[in-house]
Amino acid sequence: MPIILYRFIVLGIATLAVVAPLSLVVYQSFLTAPFFDHSARLSFFAYSFVFAEEDFWQAFWTTVAIAGGMAAIAVPLGALLAFLMVRTDVPGRKYLEPLILIPIFVSAVVIAFGYVVAVGPVGIFSTLAKDILGFVPWNLYSLFSLIVIAGLTHVPHVYLYSAAALRGLSTDLEEAARVSGASPLQVAFNVSLPMILPAILFAGVLVFFLGFELFGLPLVLGDPQDVLVLSTYLFKLTNKLGVPSYQLMAVVVVAIIAITAPLVFMQRLLLRQAQRYVSVRGKGLKTQALRLGSWRWAAFAAIIFWLFVTVVVPLFGITLRSFVVTWGEGVKLSEVLTLDHYRELVDYPNVVRGILNTLEIGVIGGAVSVVCYTAIALAIHRWNSGWTRLVDYLVMVPRAMPGLVAGLALLWVFLFFPPLSPLRSTMFSIWLAYSIVWLAYGMRLVSGTLLQVAPELEEAARVSGASDLRVKRDVTVPLIKYGMLASWLLIFLIFVREYSTGIYLLGPGTEVIGSLLVSLWGTGAIDLVSALSVVNVVMIGVGLAVAVRLGVRLHG
Amino acid sequence: MADLVVKDLRLRLGDNEILKGASLTVVPGQVVALLGPSGSGKTTLLRAVAGLEQPHAGSIAIGSNVFYDAARNIELPAEKRGLGLVFQSYALWPHRNVFDNVAYGLKLRGTPTAEIKTRVKKTLGQIGLGDLAERYPHQLSGGQQQRVAIARALVYEPPVILLDEPLSNLDAKLREEARAWLRTLIVTLGLSAIHVTHDQVEAMAIADRIVLLDTGTIAQEGPPTALYNKPATLFAAEFMGSNNRLDGTLVENSSAHAILEVFGERITGMARTNAAVGTKAVGVIRLERVRCASGPGANRLKMELKAPMYLGERWELVFAREQLTVRAYASAPLEPGEHFVEFPPDALWVF
Repeated sequence: MPIILYRFIVLGIATLAVVAPLSLVVYQSFLTAPFFDHSARLSFFAYSFVFAEEDFWQAFWTTVAIAGGMAAIAVPLGALLAFLMVRTDVPGRKYLEPLILIPIFVSAVVIAFGYVVAVGPVGIFSTLAKDILGFVPWNLYSLFSLIVIAGLTHVPHVYLYSAAALRGLSTDLEEAARVSGASPLQVAFNVSLPMILPAILFAGVLVFFLGFELFGLPLVLGDPQDVLVLSTYLFKLTNKLGVPSYQLMAVVVVAIIAITAPLVFMQRLLLRQAQRYVSVRGKGLKTQALRLGSWRWAAFAAIIFWLFVTVVVPLFGITLRSFVVTWGEGVKLSEVLTLDHYRELVDYPNVVRGILNTLEIGVIGGAVSVVCYTAIALAIHRWNSGWTRLVDYLVMVPRAMPGLVAGLALLWVFLFFPPLSPLRSTMFSIWLAYSIVWLAYGMRLVSGTLLQVAPELEEAARVSGASDLRVKRDVTVPLIKYGMLASWLLIFLIFVREYSTGIYLLGPGTEVIGSLLVSLWGTGAIDLVSALSVVNVVMIGVGLAVAVRLGVRLHG
Repeated sequence: MADLVVKDLRLRLGDNEILKGASLTVVPGQVVALLGPSGSGKTTLLRAVAGLEQPHAGSIAIGSNVFYDAARNIELPAEKRGLGLVFQSYALWPHRNVFDNVAYGLKLRGTPTAEIKTRVKKTLGQIGLGDLAERYPHQLSGGQQQRVAIARALVYEPPVILLDEPLSNLDAKLREEARAWLRTLIVTLGLSAIHVTHDQVEAMAIADRIVLLDTGTIAQEGPPTALYNKPATLFAAEFMGSNNRLDGTLVENSSAHAILEVFGERITGMARTNAAVGTKAVGVIRLERVRCASGPGANRLKMELKAPMYLGERWELVFAREQLTVRAYASAPLEPGEHFVEFPPDALWVF
């Protein structure tokens, strides 16, 4: 097969997979009824209906407030954390690093459940506080708490980009400031952080953008107060008019994408700028840690406190909850310990299927996805053509679609094209949705490893007489084998964690832990939810441990 | 086998014209060195011959086997040209051992396994690495890696083998040994080769003919002795060897001789310019041709010895007079002070 044929076939399939769901949503948004309804006509009715809804605007402004608020919290904390971890002698940095990244890898719904059982009105920490103080000094179910929690759980995102930028900076700049008489904190604020401003700015836009994708936290923490964001509004809209109100949902989806798409584009521009900034790196790659002196332990305590609030409280809460019958005032924990919740899991065939499906999608689905991402990356690898830009823009489309939205769009695709509908209730639909949603991430992982293949190695094979495709088979792919394995592990972690993408596709045969958790939470089955959450966290923990053990970089 | 002929090749990268009409002929059994400073387009020319860069005009062919012809819209992909290429970085495949690295080209040509074995063995024997077949590239020294890279390019007996600065990654001592080894190998096997280098000594040692490139055009070509002893242009004269440069005014210019006026003295040299009398001109003379004389005379300048330097096998003397600096070799040091420096007329070229 000529290489050009391979390239266009791969690009064609990828384009179809990405563009079809989006086009269907846009088309649906201009109909008066669901697309399968024969009375559906083209009109702006759905737009005028949704935009006249007060709830929609309420949800919109709440989303803006949350996204802005969490960026305001996560950006300074993340940047400061990066400075402490990369540049100073904070104790135990080596062990803190993987812990800091936990909030990225644990499902947001699990974190949200954890907060509910730990610091909710009857949570373990709340009852403890009530015993001691006589009252509960916090209120979990408020917009403020939601913003704080969202902000704290997104500190690692800012940390990742700031740390990467800081590592690229020469340390002599900081040493010069130190010698001139600046304290460590002054060095951070006057030298290091301004130097990595483009990276911080990028991370800020990223977090703001992630605010629009937020689903698990507002679903669990906002619901009791009727705090709706766009994604939860979309979720609630499912049965708004009694009949499936596809056209209204489509309008909300279009509205979400209309906000996220420019943000994705902006991130792309900012990232380029940030990289240009960092590429001016000094020769001082040997990093000399900045001595914090007496500040050392204060900084350490601050990091531990953040870890406690963001990681320990929710994970401890959910784990403890999964091992007790109940808790509350006057209940001794030692008397209510039980393993029953785990035994119960087996009684629900859909839960058992969900656990197995989750493993399957992580292990097998992840592997297949990495193969697909590699196929796309190889199609544009060393291709001197304007077509490669198509892929650049292609990966941005699913990036702008929150998982919930992508799952919905894909559900419609399966309904719209009758030949595909038998696949809807199989794990293939879940796999396809996951692969599309994580296309940008997966492509970045794979192209990162491809970049490390020296062009001469491929040219040498060409000159020896190998065709383009043969070169890829005999030289390129064997050389990126380990990079692909690392990508597989990271995709496994992502797929096992994923919860929002599978929600609309949830049905008999397509259960995964993430979407099951959301639906079980709705039924109030807290025992089951906590046990299943722990199962999910354990899977991720095992994956993370393997990754750390193998030395896989946790950030692509 | 026919000659490899490159005709008027032009190549652009972005807005930058790298090759501005380069022509080249490699006669079977000959080694041609592409020599030039960095940015002269020598590696680009080699890669264009290999099929790794795309020219936009000109042609490349071996006899009736046309690799590239802009006029006829022919462009053979690299894998169909059947050439051998040795990369500067060697580009050995790290996931294959020495045997598999060398065998790959034969495997692609559908050679039977038994024959692959004997031919790889033979080639590895020729380059003196017969017992390292099972090693992986990272287990080899730089010199061994370079030999494997050469074996890989030789094993399927390409009509021409292309060498892209194959010695530049070796350290100085090893490079001289490898140079002698490579020249011996080329002569014994009767290879035709194009050898890219920026090192004029290496080019002269290895090649039968040298093609000197200057910013995408061919400045001069010919046997090494011609390039060294009869440079056609100022660029060629200054690029080869170590040189002194005399700036002066042309006072006489015939077809054979030219006379430069420097510090009021008349210095005679070989005419290499058509410039009119009275214009500025440049005289170039190799360091080893400058002589130190005891007294005034024809073609001599009075200069002051600034610094004698001991180089081991000889001395280098630095003379100066106002802006002019002249370096010369001597077998023994001279006393500091005023001396006379002689420029033999047949060794001085006036451009």
